[in-house]
Amino acid sequence: MEWIVFGTLALWLLGSVIGAILVRNPVHSILFFLSSVLAMAGLFLSLGAELLAGLQIIIYAVAIVVFYVLVITTIPWEKVKRFEGVYAKELAVGFPVVLVAFALMGYMVVEGDFAQPVGKVEDNVREVGRTLFTSYLFPFEIASVILLVAMIGAILLGRKEE
Amino acid sequence: MSIEKAYILLSILVFLIGLLGVMVRKNLITMLVSTEIMLNGVNLTLVSADRFLGRVDGQILSFFVLTVAAAEVAVGLGLVVSIFRLRGYEGSSEIVHLRD
Repeated sequence: MEWIVFGTLALWLLGSVIGAILVRNPVHSILFFLSSVLAMAGLFLSLGAELLAGLQIIIYAVAIVVFYVLVITTIPWEKVKRFEGVYAKELAVGFPVVLVAFALMGYMVVEGDFAQPVGKVEDNVREVGRTLFTSYLFPFEIASVILLVAMIGAILLGRKEE
Repeated sequence: MSIEKAYILLSILVFLIGLLGVMVRKNLITMLVSTEIMLNGVNLTLVSADRFLGRVDGQILSFFVLTVAAAEVAVGLGLVVSIFRLRGYEGSSEIVHLRD
């Protein structure tokens, strides 16, 4: 049963990811990316990370995809149309490199041993909240500063020059 | 082969496909989409290692990855808009100057 869920979601994810990097039109590419985000949320659910699956849908599938589409609407469409598609020469060179890298890493994963499990998580959301607000409290506060800096940077970059 | 290894292999494949997308796409916006795909692949690795080890630290690390992805998309798309507005450079092969 677990393998059936994994196989379905993995095929969906791989198909939409390959479509996102190879399709010509940028808007179609973003739609393929949205489909891959939904498949990834399903994989997170099947791994038992419910909170992360919800956040994945809220942040990626809503905020980031809408932001990409808004930015595409602000750019003149003929400028976008001039540079769509992929570079053929780079694809011919890059594909074998990616295959070799996947073969090496996959060999290490298949042949190697994993670490032994150290514990068992009973209630995932409760455990995540407890760990986030005790052990990781300071990085959590730093993350809010990072978001503030990114917001100020985006405002400064998007401003029209006088 | 256990299912954890299959999850790790899938995430490696997603990461490498995103890397290939950064290498081959012509449009700046779709290059940014490919970096998002790479970040997604890393998240899948963290969460699957988490389930295998019986911990929750990987999920918290992927929350921070989500934060960085949101910040990156704000700054990166701001840069893309200002590049498009600047001089009409729009293909990823034409942007070779750091200033005018």
